[in-house]
Amino acid sequence: MAATQTNMQSLIRVCTAGFLAWLVPGAGHILLRHRTRGWILLITITLTFWSGVALGGPQDTVDPHKRLPWFMAQICTGSHGLIAYAWGEYLRAAPDAAQRANPSFASVDAAVVYTGIAGLLNLLVILDALSRADQPAPAPTPPTGQPARGSP
Amino acid sequence: MPACPLIALLAVTGISRMLLLLPLSLAIAVVYKTTRCENLRDVPAAVAALWLTLVLGMYAVGVAIWLLFMICVEWT
Repeated sequence: MAATQTNMQSLIRVCTAGFLAWLVPGAGHILLRHRTRGWILLITITLTFWSGVALGGPQDTVDPHKRLPWFMAQICTGSHGLIAYAWGEYLRAAPDAAQRANPSFASVDAAVVYTGIAGLLNLLVILDALSRADQPAPAPTPPTGQPARGSP
Repeated sequence: MPACPLIALLAVTGISRMLLLLPLSLAIAVVYKTTRCENLRDVPAAVAALWLTLVLGMYAVGVAIWLLFMICVEWT
């Protein structure tokens, strides 16, 4: 009975970490108490994704109608991909969308690569969070100047 | 004036597009080594080594393909 309960708690922990890691890159690690690691991942993937959007603009960069395989990679960034997709759809549906569109914009290819790579990197982060969710959480770091508990 | 603040904010064209490899490969190196290194103190050195490897390797592949292309163009 206790083993079943422990297994259920472990499964919930793994699922929560995986979902959070997808929704906000690095959040799965932060939940698992790998806070510094999580913040590094969050900042790096967020900067990479939005740099890509800044290069190509949301309406051309995240577009499942033109680039479905790349969109599958971009959506792996979770909330970032969803926000950029919604923003792009809003701009595409705007009355003056044709006026705003700039098909000769040279940086769109690079923008798609940036955002797609950011999504694939988050896939790696999700897998890492899932593997760490099975392991025990790291012990909290003792304050500076005090020895860790159990050390001589 | 673009209607959306992010559109045409960073217009990178021409040969400067090659420089876009630098931050992208840095992001790849940071994420990969952050997930692989158990001790976070080892991350900066590991990231620097991987970043240099990626950049030099990619540019070397690019130069090799460009040379191959030029040779093919000369022969035909």
